[in-house]
Amino acid sequence: MAEDRDPHRIQAIHHELHSHLPPEPALRVKALESLLVEKGLLDPQTVDAWIEVFTEQIGPKRGATVVAKAWTDPAFKERLLADGTAAITELGFEGWAGGHLKVVENTPTIHNLVVCTLCSCYPISILGVPPNWYKTAAYRARAVRDPRGVLAEFGETIADEVEVRAWDSTSELRYMVLPERPAGTEGWDAAALAGLVTRNAMIGTARDLVPRQEPG
Amino acid sequence: MDGIHDLGGKQGFGPIDVGEKEERFHAAWEARLVGIVRGMTRVAPWSIDWFRYVRELIDPADYLTRPYYDQWLQTYAAMMVNSGVATVDELASGKSTAAIPDLAPPAPPSAVAAAARTTVRFDRESSAPPRFAVGDAVRTHVHAAPGHTRLPHYVRGRRGTVTASHGAHVLPDASALGEERSEPLYTVAFAARELWPEATAPRDRVYLDLWESYLEPA
Repeated sequence: MAEDRDPHRIQAIHHELHSHLPPEPALRVKALESLLVEKGLLDPQTVDAWIEVFTEQIGPKRGATVVAKAWTDPAFKERLLADGTAAITELGFEGWAGGHLKVVENTPTIHNLVVCTLCSCYPISILGVPPNWYKTAAYRARAVRDPRGVLAEFGETIADEVEVRAWDSTSELRYMVLPERPAGTEGWDAAALAGLVTRNAMIGTARDLVPRQEPG
Repeated sequence: MDGIHDLGGKQGFGPIDVGEKEERFHAAWEARLVGIVRGMTRVAPWSIDWFRYVRELIDPADYLTRPYYDQWLQTYAAMMVNSGVATVDELASGKSTAAIPDLAPPAPPSAVAAAARTTVRFDRESSAPPRFAVGDAVRTHVHAAPGHTRLPHYVRGRRGTVTASHGAHVLPDASALGEERSEPLYTVAFAARELWPEATAPRDRVYLDLWESYLEPA
C-alpha cells in the first residue's frame, strides 16, 4: 500500500494533534490504547506482557553478563568484537535494535563514548530502554563536541594522552562499550565480575570500574 | 532536512542530569506507551526511517520541550492519521467512529516472548562494489537530502577517514519515503579538530556511520 508522505501534511497533522489531544500525556496514552483496542489493533494483555519484558528481562544486567564473559573468556571476547550480534545471540540476548551490534573496547589509551545526535538510538536488547539523560538535547548536542566536559560531569577525568572516541549512532549499527576489567579482580568468576559493570560504563559515561566487594 | 533534531554540536544546553535515578520508566504511562507501540498491529508500510522523519517534523519548540515518550505518542498518532487508520478526533476521545478494513486479530500476549527476541537486519545483498576502502580520505557533502537523512549538519563538508566498510545497508533517505534502496555503508572517523574550532586534544575523534552517497573522495 503506497501512502502520501508529504512533510507539509505531516506538519499540519502535528499541529492539529497538538491542539486537540488531551493535555496530560497519561490521558493521551489512555485514549490511544482505548482506540487501538476498539479498532481491533491491540490486545491490552499484550501491552502488559511487553511491559513485563522491559521491566523484568531486558536491561543492563544483560550487557554486564556480556562484558564479564568477555573478560573471562578470550575466545568469546574475540567473537564479540568481530560480530557483536552473533556473540550476544549465543547468550539469547538478541532482539530490538540488536541486528548490527558493534562493541568498542576501552584500553589504557582509548576511551569510547556512545551517543545518537539525531534521535536516541541505543542497543536496547542488551542495555534495556535508555536513561533519560541519554535522550536529552544536552547530551545529544554535547557528547560529540565536548565529550571530556560531559565525562567530567559524570565524575570522570580523562587524561590528555587518552584518545576519546565519540560514536554517533547514525545508522542501524548500535554501539556498546567494553570497559576495562578493573585491577584487583584476578580470580573473580564471571558472576562476581558482572556485578561491577554499570550501565554508564557500557555507554561510556563511566570509565574506571571499582571492585566494590570481595566475591562471595 | 535541517531540523531541530540535528543537535550534534549545538551550544547553549546546560549540564547533564547525572544524578538521575536509575529506573526503567519514570511514569506508568511511559511503560504503557512502549508496550502499546511494540504490541500494536502495523496497518501501513511504516519503517523506522518514516518514524524518525515524522518525529523530526514535530514543531521545533514542541520537539525541544515535549517529554521523550510523549514524542513517540505524537509521532505514532501522526503516522496513524496520515495512513488513514485514525482521525485526530478519535485519538482525542479514544472512541472509534469509523471502521477500518478487516484485519487479523492483534498479537496475543503469548507472541511477546518470541517477538522480544526478533532481530531486524538492515544489511542487503548487493553486487555493486563499494567505492571507498578502509583508509580512504573522504569528504561529506555540504548539502544533504531535503527530506530525511542521517548525515548530521556538524560533519557536512568535513574531511574524514574510512575506518570500516559494512556492505550495503538500507538507505534511510529513501526508506523514509517508502522506497527501499541499499547503498554501501561506512564508518568514518573525523578528527575533533576538523569539526570544532575550540578542540585541542589532537587524537580525539568522532565516528559516524555514513552511506556512500553522503561522501566524495577527499
